Amino acid sequence: MKAKATIAPEKDYYAALGLQPTTTLEELKRVYRDLARQHHPDVSGGDAEVFRCIQEAYEVLRDPVLRQAYDRQRAARGLGREAPLECTLTLSSLQLVASDAPQMLYALLDLRPRPAVVKQRLPLNLALVIDRSTSMQGARIGNVKLAALNLFEGLSEHDRLAVIAFSDHAEVVADSTSVRQIASLRSAVANLTTGGGTEILQGLRAGLEQVRRFADRTSNNHVVLLTDGRTYGDEETCLVEARQAQSENIGISTLGIGDDWNDLFLDALARHGGGMCQYISSPAQLQDLLLQHIRGLSQVTLNRLALNVNLPPWVQLQAAFRAAPFMELLDAKPGCPFSLGQVGEEPLSLLIELVVHQPDAGERRVARLDFEGLASDGFVTLRRDVLIQFVAQAFEMPEVPGRLLNTLSRLSIFRLQERAWQVLEQGDVRQATHLLESAATRLFEIGHRELGQVALVEAERVQQGIAPTSRGRKQVRYGTRALIRS
Amino acid sequence: MTERADGIVCPSCQHVNLPGTLFCLQCGTYLPSGGPLRTEQFPDQHLQRAKPRNGDVAQDEEPALGIEIEVLRTHRKVLLSADSEILVGRLDAAHGVFPELDLTADSGLEHGISRRHARLYTRHGKWYIEDLDSTNGTFVNEERLTAYLPYSIGDGDTLTLGTLRLRINLQGDLPDASPW
Repeated sequence: MKAKATIAPEKDYYAALGLQPTTTLEELKRVYRDLARQHHPDVSGGDAEVFRCIQEAYEVLRDPVLRQAYDRQRAARGLGREAPLECTLTLSSLQLVASDAPQMLYALLDLRPRPAVVKQRLPLNLALVIDRSTSMQGARIGNVKLAALNLFEGLSEHDRLAVIAFSDHAEVVADSTSVRQIASLRSAVANLTTGGGTEILQGLRAGLEQVRRFADRTSNNHVVLLTDGRTYGDEETCLVEARQAQSENIGISTLGIGDDWNDLFLDALARHGGGMCQYISSPAQLQDLLLQHIRGLSQVTLNRLALNVNLPPWVQLQAAFRAAPFMELLDAKPGCPFSLGQVGEEPLSLLIELVVHQPDAGERRVARLDFEGLASDGFVTLRRDVLIQFVAQAFEMPEVPGRLLNTLSRLSIFRLQERAWQVLEQGDVRQATHLLESAATRLFEIGHRELGQVALVEAERVQQGIAPTSRGRKQVRYGTRALIRS
Repeated sequence: MTERADGIVCPSCQHVNLPGTLFCLQCGTYLPSGGPLRTEQFPDQHLQRAKPRNGDVAQDEEPALGIEIEVLRTHRKVLLSADSEILVGRLDAAHGVFPELDLTADSGLEHGISRRHARLYTRHGKWYIEDLDSTNGTFVNEERLTAYLPYSIGDGDTLTLGTLRLRINLQGDLPDASPW
């Protein structure tokens, strides 16, 4: 006879079985049987540890009294309304040698919405802010129009869309009414003309104003800015607007067309606005990328996701990165939540680098990761602890998980080239050349020859004291940050 | 200096990384995944290459006992000493491959050079090359070598590794008495 199961409220039994907290006893039994058969240590591919977890979860959940107690205890700990996310934690090592010297530990987190939640997408409340300055003339504005017209087709009746055109002033081409009035939207967009300069603040403000009219937490409120030029003097104010918008649950993403826009500014604008910045290198790409982008927005299930990394005094946060859907250095400080933006259909991956300095053996919590996000029905949380076994004796290091290595190798390329531009800005030509060459070598190594070639050409220019081309720089920057996707 | 000993020295750029680091912070090279205090475990050849040998200073006046290899595409010339075996290939720190003649910078990857492509060594005053079952083969004067079968080479011979061509230039007369 088996011992009576004990409850461990810090463990997510539902997640262990891949079930919702609303699951029925019948479903529970069926899923358990399948999983147990699959993971039983006696079958090939079975795993005693996994099997034990499944069994433990099942022992509690199948008993109505235990299950109720478990649910209550979890709710009391603030774990009850767990974010509808699947979270997988991969560490570079589960064990470290207790040592007087600091050492590195990598943690990779993969977050994706639970399958059942994917369908509960938030309706869109969107403003499309289109640059109509003189430089947009021709194929650019033509493709923007086509893309916008196609976009209308894909929207559902619950979505809202405003269209703003701007140059040195902004004009609301179509205000934020329901997309049911599609005919007026169509003609308004089709009749867009170009002319004037680029003042992004004007367009941004008009877009935000439209989105604010219907902004609430049950919709995905977002401004999409399309531009091909630089704005002068209003950058700081734009960033302030973006931060303000983010606090009102309005996101901003940016799409840069051609090679003349300011990548650092559009990156920052998207970062403050909790969205992403994309590079559109040719007019032909514009339609696909814009549609893809809007489709991505329409799959969002969670807004304003933030992560708080809590560390004991003997652990330092070296760096935190977003690894997917695009790479980005995150402005993370321990003990203080930082924004991760939205979670849609594409998994969100984060890489955290910790410097651990622990001279004593034993199992210890190296980090506590607290996520908080806004779902359609309110705030949800998710907590993950990073536990490490510190051992006194040196041991044979087990192999580092392939996915972690893969992510790290690409992230290190992204990092090399970002540092290259940074040191170049400071005038260190030698170091910048070296970093770009290193990035090129690594790109060749992982089979991205074209991109490696571009990096190499830019490295040569830099070495000769010539400024990198705007195109090459953007190709390298935006190409490397998308390496995980491809 | 103890802190240095506790770190992982990057084989490519010599940057000292914290133990447990997987990719060099400085140049992105994949570092052998060693735990703390495992820095010393790089293969011997690599450490030897890094520090000049004292005994060589006196011999500088003498004709060097060695082999000069010229990469024909880039005209890069590498002079290698005969007193230990020479591995030719592409550096791959992840798999502990540290060739004496690293062809990475000569677009080795594009030319189909394997990480461990071939080895060169002397026996009784003669130079030999042996293909290490490389993916794209080794040729001496257009003749393909059988893997793992030593083949003697002489001054002016052309070696083709993958599609990269190298010329052999033997330094002076090799004395009959080999160093071993």
